[in-house]
Amino acid sequence: MARIVTAMALTHSPGLTGWFDRAPEDQRIEARRALVEMRDRLRVSRPDVIVLFSNDHLLNWPINNTPEYTVGIGSEHVGPADWYDEWLALEKYRIPGHPALARYLVNEGARRRLAFAYLRDMQFDDGVSVPMHYLNPDGAIPLVPVTMNCTVPPIPTPERAYQVGTTLREMLLAYPGAERVAVVATGGLSHEPGGPRYFWVDEEFDRWFLALLKQGDHVALLRECTLERMEAAGSGGTAELLAWIIALAFTSGPAEVLAYMPAVAWRSGTGMVVWPAVRP
Amino acid sequence: MGNVERCDKTLPVNEMIFYVRRDAMLRARWLSDLEGLAREFGLSRDEYEALRDKDVRRLNEMGVHQYYIPQILRLFYGASANSNSHPALEAYKRAYPAEAAAAERLAGRKA
Repeated sequence: MARIVTAMALTHSPGLTGWFDRAPEDQRIEARRALVEMRDRLRVSRPDVIVLFSNDHLLNWPINNTPEYTVGIGSEHVGPADWYDEWLALEKYRIPGHPALARYLVNEGARRRLAFAYLRDMQFDDGVSVPMHYLNPDGAIPLVPVTMNCTVPPIPTPERAYQVGTTLREMLLAYPGAERVAVVATGGLSHEPGGPRYFWVDEEFDRWFLALLKQGDHVALLRECTLERMEAAGSGGTAELLAWIIALAFTSGPAEVLAYMPAVAWRSGTGMVVWPAVRP
Repeated sequence: MGNVERCDKTLPVNEMIFYVRRDAMLRARWLSDLEGLAREFGLSRDEYEALRDKDVRRLNEMGVHQYYIPQILRLFYGASANSNSHPALEAYKRAYPAEAAAAERLAGRKA
């Protein structure tokens, strides 16, 4: 059976690579420090594979067909997608996939009544490219990307995301292989990409959400952090934190917040979190 | 729920943008023959004119998915160095001056 060796979460805003230098110096220093810390902790956990939870920004699926979850099952992942490379200021990268594990998730998910769409040739924008640039820059750690739809209504609820995370954890623990799995969630914090409050960051919400993570009480977090609360803090973007809620289901106890920046220049509340303990 | 629920999932322009972004030839036609492209994808005159005019507020109000609106602007203005002073973001400041000013004040307090 596979083993979960670490769980972490971070913002994936395109400004973190595309226009990093436009943020104030203290935010740049803080972000760099936290991202290096995350990369080091990831390496120390010696993962065989990263299972990364992010979201599709209407890149892989057209608006008339937006699956709730999609697994990238290719043997190699290539990004950023054309046109997005210029936006993200990133060169093309290649990261090996883990098709056996990815295909297992699709098929075992179906047996457990979870509908995972899949793509052999998934395209990548900021959701995967930014975290991989900082955490897996040489592409040495194989990747299984799992994206969700949190931008086209209906948006899943936090309860649903936690339930999916719980089932994914059970599936990974039942995987017939001894892989060491790192769980990485990307997205958030508060932001409203393309909405009237495009430039806004809801610092109060972000600090409240991170405090809930630090308390480590999953029941309380799910009770208080509703989808409506996320939407109020930035429509169509803050709900990317559903990826963090999936990762939460793999953990126990308080999260350690490595950094938080209300980064208006990057148009997103920006945070980096590691959970010291995963569920046994 | 918030602004994202204004989205009209059946609006032809919401289908069109998905394909334009992914295809270099369509991206080139966006700049040289937007009207012809709009006709082929079945856009209404209203949708075409809102695109042509880069009218952020009108696009949002007619139900263009909010995630697509900055991408529409990047198709016109280019995608690199997309900071808050990029022309695409300046278009947002003109469309939503009160919201942009509030964020500017927040950034000022943090700087």
